[in-house]
Amino acid sequence: MMLCSAVIHLSCYFLLVKFHYYAFPLKEGPVYYVDVVNLPVAKPRAGTPSKSGSAPPLPSRKEMVIPAPLSQKAVAMSKTPIEKKTPAPVETAAKLKAPVEKKPPEPAETSRQFEERLAKIEQDVAEKHMSAVLEALQKKVGGAGKTGQTGIPGGRGMEAGSDYAGYIRSRLTDAFRTTIAFQTKNPQVMVRLTIDQSGKVAGVKLERSSKDRIFEDAVMNTIAKAEQTFIPPPGGGKFEHSFRFAPEGVSKK
Amino acid sequence: MKKIFVILLLFFIPSIVHAEQGFLDVTAPGNRQLQLAITATRSPDGMQDSEIVKDVSDILQFDMTLAGPFSVKTVAGNDGNGIRPGEFDIAPWKAAGFDLLVKSSYMIADGNITLEFRLYDVFKNNEMLAKRYTGNIRDLRKIVHTFADEIMQAVTGETGPFTGKIAFVSKRTRNKEIYLMDYDGYNVQRLTRNGSIYLDPDFSPDGREIIYTSYKRGNPDLFRRELFSGAEAGISARPGLNITGAYAPDGKRIALAMSKDGSSKIYLIDKAGKLLARLTYGGNIDVSPAWSPDGAQIAFISDREGKPQIFIMNADGANIHRLTFRGAYNVGPRWSPKGNRIVYCRQEGNGFQIYAINPDGSDDTRLTNEGSNEHPRWSPDGRFITFSSKRGRKEAIYVMRSDGSGQTRVSRGTGDDSHPTWSSCW
Repeated sequence: MMLCSAVIHLSCYFLLVKFHYYAFPLKEGPVYYVDVVNLPVAKPRAGTPSKSGSAPPLPSRKEMVIPAPLSQKAVAMSKTPIEKKTPAPVETAAKLKAPVEKKPPEPAETSRQFEERLAKIEQDVAEKHMSAVLEALQKKVGGAGKTGQTGIPGGRGMEAGSDYAGYIRSRLTDAFRTTIAFQTKNPQVMVRLTIDQSGKVAGVKLERSSKDRIFEDAVMNTIAKAEQTFIPPPGGGKFEHSFRFAPEGVSKK
Repeated sequence: MKKIFVILLLFFIPSIVHAEQGFLDVTAPGNRQLQLAITATRSPDGMQDSEIVKDVSDILQFDMTLAGPFSVKTVAGNDGNGIRPGEFDIAPWKAAGFDLLVKSSYMIADGNITLEFRLYDVFKNNEMLAKRYTGNIRDLRKIVHTFADEIMQAVTGETGPFTGKIAFVSKRTRNKEIYLMDYDGYNVQRLTRNGSIYLDPDFSPDGREIIYTSYKRGNPDLFRRELFSGAEAGISARPGLNITGAYAPDGKRIALAMSKDGSSKIYLIDKAGKLLARLTYGGNIDVSPAWSPDGAQIAFISDREGKPQIFIMNADGANIHRLTFRGAYNVGPRWSPKGNRIVYCRQEGNGFQIYAINPDGSDDTRLTNEGSNEHPRWSPDGRFITFSSKRGRKEAIYVMRSDGSGQTRVSRGTGDDSHPTWSSCW
């Protein structure tokens, strides 16, 4: 069974390699320009994202803050590259366009060169995956909380807010800063949070208790407070994830 | 072959990695205190007794402030509304940043007072506690302390020690007699009055009896006294010392130091004074036994290795090992009711300071700095320590939190007060 699966996968792989890489040098694909969409919250305490998605108004001239003057050395350092980099905008555009239009066709590869390049690509791919595997294994050994995996299970990162778990964490962290209170030395609480399609908390399961009632109340208040800032999960489905609450500096037990 | 293996990994491993969901850390710095608002108690008939109003606020504020997890604000006057859910608007309290709110009312009839308390979780808009107490108006302090204990139970999951009493030795009548007071220093009662010397009081686990050493028969003998009836009986009058008695957690046995066989050793007797066992041997001095809360071990002082140090042994006298290695003179051990700490005194300079140490000898921490501090004893919940301290001309009784914070003088006598011990809640 394993052998059969391996043969099928190998066949698929070679077919992909054949049609994809073989065609790659011969035909240059069209260039797509993609606007980078910032996720709703990049850092804790960054504020609640606007649900309408409208950009915040630009600061008026009066509101703008003039930065503090730099030191003489810093001024000199900052001036030099700016002075060198002030060509006319039209010229810059022309220069940027020119090499694209005048680019001479590349000479055809010999079959040996192609094989070398293909081998290099294969090696690169294999190294990347090996390092990914090693990294995943290291994180697994180091503790589940260190995986750094913050996306929605099965999420492809295609839409804004696809790092929904990270977003929820940032909202919880913001609320936790205003509610944290505890009476034992190193309290830790593990909570499994379920958020429904509308962004409301549908379930809170205490997976690990701290036996510190003040701390557990603080965690529950944190969730209730943060819920007011949640947005619906992307993709129209439910979201479920575990969160470990602890005072800063308390190591995992 | 190597390439095939790599390609296989390429297809199978990503799905394995994706299956690991893990968890995310949510952390925050510091430890915030819960904001507790106490509104002035009110009488429904509008005839306010300012003394009662002040006492209720002051007692609750003292208890809750000493407790530690709370930042207390008393609110003079009341909003004119009721104290029950729906009779007042909780939104302004939430807007003001409070976590908890205490509202109360009282009625006086025929010398009795009825006090009704309500504790609200402001954030959840939830009534956590509702209690009504009726008693003689002289019991006002006890009623309020009882509700403070209830607040501790509701918020922290463990009841408070505020209805416990502190017994102590005082020289306010020139002799060393035993007195009893509320933990905050009020309602002082004199227990003994025969002009002799009394030392080392210790409560029974239920708080109804007390044992102490007295010289009233010329020899330091151990006595037991029932607090409610006042009946007293000598339970160990053996030749030599009968000192530093300590009730076992089961309340049936007493460990004490006796010198009937030569130098002072640790013995076990029952409540009637019958000798049960001798626990320590040798030519050195062993005194001040202190039980672990499970009754399995006893800490005590011994000079078997030169200067007095704290040692621990099993309750049958086996497995004696030294606990303290720092400091040349360590005395007065007491085991925390939670079992995790042992508090003791160390001689430093011309006086003593109070330290706490784990039973395994780790985390030896100094708790006091000012004056000379001795005789530390735990509150029944293990949150607080009472001790005697000489910070001026006279020695007085203090209380502090188990980490050494919140040191507060509670005894108000004119003579030296020492040897405090804190009873369980009455």
